[in-house]
Amino acid sequence: MLELSTRARGLAAIAVSLVVVTGCGIAGQSPSPAPTPAASPTPAATGTDTASSGPTATPTAAVTPTSEPTPVPTPAGQLDFANWPLYIDIDEESGGYPTLDQFTAESGINVNYVEAINDNEEFFGRIQPDLAAGHSTGWDIIVMTDWMIERMIRLGYLQELDHSMLGNFESNAQPYFANGWFDPGNVYSLPWQSGIVGIGYNPTLTGREITTFDDLLDPEFAGRVGMFSEMRDTMSLALLSIGVVPEEATIADVQAAQAKLLEAAQRGQFRAFYGNDYYDALAAGDVALTIAWSGDVSQMKLYDNPDVEFVVPETGGMLFVDNMAIPANAEHPIDAHMMMDFWYDLQSATTLTEYIGYFSPVNGVRDLVLQHAQEARDDGDSEWADALEVIAETSYPSADQLDNIYTYKILGEEEERQWNDLFNALISG
Amino acid sequence: MTTGRSEVPLRRLPVAQRVSRALLPIYTALVVMYLFLPIAVMIAFSFNDPRGRQNITWQGFTMENYLDVWSRPDITGPMLSSLIVAFVATGVATALGTLIGLALTRYEFRGQGPLNLLIYVPMATPEVILGASLLAMWVTVGVQRGLETIIIAHVMFNISFVVVTVRARIAGFNRSLEEAAMDLGADEWTTFRKITFPLIFPGIMAAALLAFALSIDDYVITSFVAGQTVTFPLWVYGASRFGVPPEVNVLGTLIFVVAFGFIALQILWSRRGRGPATRPIEVES
Amino acid sequence: MARRLRRLTPYLFLLPGGLWLFIFFVLPMLVMASVSLQEGSLGEGFRLTWNFGVYAEVINDWSPQFIRSVLYALIVTGLTLAIGFPIAYTIAFRGGRAKNILLLLVILPFFTAFIIRTLAWKLILADNGFVLGAAKDMGLLAPNFQVLATPLAVVSGLTYNFLPFMILPLYVALEKIDPHLVEAATDLYASRTQAFLRVTLPLAMPGVFAGSLLVFIPTVGDFINAAILGSRDTTMIGNIIQRLFLNTNAYPEASALGFVLMAAVLVLVAIYARAVGARELTVG
Repeated sequence: MLELSTRARGLAAIAVSLVVVTGCGIAGQSPSPAPTPAASPTPAATGTDTASSGPTATPTAAVTPTSEPTPVPTPAGQLDFANWPLYIDIDEESGGYPTLDQFTAESGINVNYVEAINDNEEFFGRIQPDLAAGHSTGWDIIVMTDWMIERMIRLGYLQELDHSMLGNFESNAQPYFANGWFDPGNVYSLPWQSGIVGIGYNPTLTGREITTFDDLLDPEFAGRVGMFSEMRDTMSLALLSIGVVPEEATIADVQAAQAKLLEAAQRGQFRAFYGNDYYDALAAGDVALTIAWSGDVSQMKLYDNPDVEFVVPETGGMLFVDNMAIPANAEHPIDAHMMMDFWYDLQSATTLTEYIGYFSPVNGVRDLVLQHAQEARDDGDSEWADALEVIAETSYPSADQLDNIYTYKILGEEEERQWNDLFNALISG
Repeated sequence: MTTGRSEVPLRRLPVAQRVSRALLPIYTALVVMYLFLPIAVMIAFSFNDPRGRQNITWQGFTMENYLDVWSRPDITGPMLSSLIVAFVATGVATALGTLIGLALTRYEFRGQGPLNLLIYVPMATPEVILGASLLAMWVTVGVQRGLETIIIAHVMFNISFVVVTVRARIAGFNRSLEEAAMDLGADEWTTFRKITFPLIFPGIMAAALLAFALSIDDYVITSFVAGQTVTFPLWVYGASRFGVPPEVNVLGTLIFVVAFGFIALQILWSRRGRGPATRPIEVES
Repeated sequence: MARRLRRLTPYLFLLPGGLWLFIFFVLPMLVMASVSLQEGSLGEGFRLTWNFGVYAEVINDWSPQFIRSVLYALIVTGLTLAIGFPIAYTIAFRGGRAKNILLLLVILPFFTAFIIRTLAWKLILADNGFVLGAAKDMGLLAPNFQVLATPLAVVSGLTYNFLPFMILPLYVALEKIDPHLVEAATDLYASRTQAFLRVTLPLAMPGVFAGSLLVFIPTVGDFINAAILGSRDTTMIGNIIQRLFLNTNAYPEASALGFVLMAAVLVLVAIYARAVGARELTVG
């Protein structure tokens, strides 16, 4: 079976030549730095000025979403929206998405909502070939975490937004979340929800209060600690624990942080490096303490395990902002704009927050949630009222939390590779 | 085919032999229970009524999931896609693979060595590579990924498995039966139809079953070439990181029941005398 | 005309499948081969630099995971053979009229997505689930005993998931053994054991061979069982490749690693085939 006849050798020769021919970097077409401005929504060419980058300087608070600048860019009536699981309100009974249904009723646009994203890098890896080749990815809106947005902007993979169509955003956005470090001026993205990367733990299992990152390395909890497989989250928290601000970390700092974690990993401190499945582990008690996302722990308290607590490590936690963005060459950009703006309407934003419990980037959500809580209490539904009050608390970071949270470092390609190499060595036994 | 059972009645055998005789059936029963354990858990938890996202502790019995699942297009949609892919891919792969199996075992021709390589190497390739390489090719050629590309990929990896399974059956197949038929005047096509095909049919069915199971299960390759389409394993794997709703168990249970019914029907149909595998060969005039 | 058709027949049979495999397997493989020899990154683009050094690099970096994967795969193959052979034998020889029903029972569980089955195992093997939890309450197990996140869980999951891949080929091979041959052996004064070892087993070898391949090969490249049931210390080479491809986007390294895995598997399979005398098995 392994003997090569003359014919097979001939075939091999052809194969080698094919390899050379295809070697013109098929998997990694280097995208030219600025294809996206040219790829801005084509219908917008009917008059709205989108060539200028940056937000429209003129206050557009007067522009409501329903009154459009003339000539009217027409939506296609269809929208493909990729998001993370459980990141939108669901009607448990019918399985539908009430806010999306409402949007369809108001705008006539059909939304194909798919929970296709489980991991920033995984999703990026799947759409990257299309983006590199200049094709549509099949998605009009995607929700990516801030550092990935930064990367996609740098690679030229996102479309510029036309802020004249984003009146709700202009008037309702929280200043703290808008204008992020990763996308100054919100040229390419609008915040979806935000949260903190900190520590989630179960006091009944740990036996004591957990206060800081080094508690995760305490031998007392050997084998019952969780870490994230998300490189930036884990490494940033570790960097903070050795007194380094992530934005200023050098590669030597990263090596030191990695060495610290590696020592713990090799003595079996960590049960696993989790993705989103850390939620299961914490709720079920497989781990007593783990790196966690704030909104998840709020939800867990309400629905799955009332014992759990969330804490921002003393050494510092990480703020993440998930954002809506339009990939380059999207097929229905106008509809995408309308959808994005819809989420900055106070009602929609409140419904969303009440359901998923993360920080809302929209002004006035907290007050409206409290109002709903009061109404529920008046109606006699004290359980839901309590829940809503908890949600109102967690709809915006507290002052304490704000003091102690940091943002991710922007990593160039080379640096990212170095960080990844160190991290991969850490998480693979 | 007759069974291998000897004619000595059980009670006449010495105890040791009786025990060893009973051992196999007992063992089989135990293993079947082991095989069904996760299925039983899946079915049980399809009736669970969890409050939160987790379906891992029993919180109460309900039949509602069986009603709710139909109004969850986010779950039934992927299931439908998976079924379509599985049926189509199984059909095509079984046909193509059987042809190759026949050619390889019954004919002499040049290029058998490289062909063997072509068959075996896909099975030796990690699914990640199969998936990623296909994706690279589709993007280069500019083909949008979706249901069609998934089917194509599934046929591709199934062909090898079909060939291997069918060959295990055809190898050692008694050619003298065919020769006898042809001596009696049958031409090649009739011989194939009445002798060869019925006898290798169990092997083909086994291969088809294997292909179907592989296809409906596939996660890795599908995740690369699916584009926007979501198949059931893709959806479940994604949801598993957040908490799998009981509706998933419902669909799993329903698939299980349908597969059970389908195969049971097939057995009954073959029992009734039309199937070739359980009866001696009849040479029709 | 008939004669020419006859000579063409094998080629005609081979054409559709062969073509399919060529277009959708060989061509993409060539693309991947080219990618493995490239260097660069997503941002800067990749360039074909004929960097053969990447192969040495990935072998160096990831040999523990390689060895672990091969080890697990060998264990799983052995286990499925040990567990599956008696089953296939029982069904083929003792099944009688219940043969098809038994076969149905054996393969039926595998018509559900294996992801659901693996998640069910995660539930069953949960630290404080209804199996381990009950045992711990009864004092049979230490309170911190765990199965999940250990190699045991991963190997068990793999064994379970790949059992039908062993049983089906074994059954197919055993089923066509003429039982009269066994009878003839016992008539010739062979004991039952001897008859088994000298007649049944050798005739079943095609099935053993096929089954072993069907189990070993996908097991060595699997990553789902390790991801759901395992931990850092059970990382398999499949996990590495997947991570390099999809998370780190290190396409050249990932492609190179994939080819190394393929090569290792092919070598092992060739050795195995030689040992089993597969020339007689696979050539019709």
